[in-house]
Amino acid sequence: MFLFLALLDNPEEQEKFAEIYSQYRHFMWYVANQKLQDEHLAEDAVQEAFFALTRHLDKVEEVHSPRTKKFLATIVRSKAVDILRKSRPEEELSEYLSEDKGGADILEQYLTKENYNHLISCILELDDSYRVIFEYKYIYQMGDDQIGDILGISAKNVNVRYFRARKKLQEMIRKEDDRF
Amino acid sequence: MKERESLLAEALDECLEEDLSFIPPEREIARKHHFSEEFEKTIEALLENASDASRKRIQKHFFPRYGQWAACLLIFCICGGLFYYIIRPLSEQTESVQEAEGASGSAEMILEERSEEAVPEFNEELASDRKGEAAEEDRSSGHAEEETSVQEAGLETVPEKKYCGQTVYPAEQQEVPEVLDYVTTLVNCPVLDEENPILILTIGNTGEEELQYLNHYMLEVRLDDEWYVIPERLNVPEKWITLEAGMAVDEEIDLTDYHIDYDAQQYRLITRVNQELVSAEFTFGDGFTETMELEEDSFEE
Repeated sequence: MFLFLALLDNPEEQEKFAEIYSQYRHFMWYVANQKLQDEHLAEDAVQEAFFALTRHLDKVEEVHSPRTKKFLATIVRSKAVDILRKSRPEEELSEYLSEDKGGADILEQYLTKENYNHLISCILELDDSYRVIFEYKYIYQMGDDQIGDILGISAKNVNVRYFRARKKLQEMIRKEDDRF
Repeated sequence: MKERESLLAEALDECLEEDLSFIPPEREIARKHHFSEEFEKTIEALLENASDASRKRIQKHFFPRYGQWAACLLIFCICGGLFYYIIRPLSEQTESVQEAEGASGSAEMILEERSEEAVPEFNEELASDRKGEAAEEDRSSGHAEEETSVQEAGLETVPEKKYCGQTVYPAEQQEVPEVLDYVTTLVNCPVLDEENPILILTIGNTGEEELQYLNHYMLEVRLDDEWYVIPERLNVPEKWITLEAGMAVDEEIDLTDYHIDYDAQQYRLITRVNQELVSAEFTFGDGFTETMELEEDSFEE
């Protein structure tokens, strides 16, 4: 834990951190509890999220802003996903052992304005483990190293998850297109 | 390529915003959930240790010459402050006393020349002048004290009340409509005895589009013309439910989840419909009280 503390290296950052804590801790707990359905595990997720936040406070420009709220929601959701994954080791193992089904990455083709509504409904249904990777990458413009640091995995694994997420989303949009 | 990526970013952002729009305000969540001691301690330790670490770093980078400058500046400020706030007012006071003495001395000389009848008048004038000044001072100091006490009262006044052996806090939103453009609520009050304390809340979608409501209700009681939130005994999981256009739904609310005494004049249930709060007010009628009294009588017999 003391490793994290060293990273809040000036009073401004500490003040920012304290403000975020007092302003959003219950919100973060609520988001985690929605996912985990367990009050204590949700607290663990919030705690982990705050530890991770100490290393990425630079991403928070203004404490009282919708962007900060969203960023915190993404962090705490990713921590909740992590806790769920750890509580079901068989799923974690199967994820690492599972082979990619193959097929070309043609997600780009589906990313059109005409497909926007399909895209929205597919993202809403997309599993959080994939969705948070997209959010870190596209909304907060974070690199694989930074994402890996928050998730506690290597940059290579972030990349693997990212491509799986793309394939999953592509598959969902294709199915949605076929329906209409 | 960039355009497509920004489209994906936009879609992700919109979805996230939609998800978060269903989350109640921080204060509302805080009422329902209290973090464990262990959690609070860990975060407090994190904050304390971080500030200690930062202090140490500041000490390490402190340059002695800057310290000397700072000490000089501090001494200068203290001396200036002493002169301005203590020595100067004292000297001014002494001068004014001397002036007053001089004035009274000359007044005495004039008075000696005047008749005996004039003396009390002059003294009265002086006394009234002094009284006037004193009263003015009192008024201004009293006013300042009043302001301070009002400010203190504003800060220290705890708006909570005691109700049924529990502390209740004022509702964040006092005015909550019972009817929206697209939704109506109705409480049917079938409470007949304490063994069957179930309320039926009907929510009707009168709009043309489906709506979502939260199947979790806050019960509030009206005390001294203010609505107060009654805490729940259990933490019931919340769920958003879709209600088709033109449909109505009956929700059962178990009042044993709350500590209530059935004596207060008015209650209301609050829930969320889409992003708006909607209320349903109700009271316990005479029928209920009479039934309770009859039951009590029969029990005593």
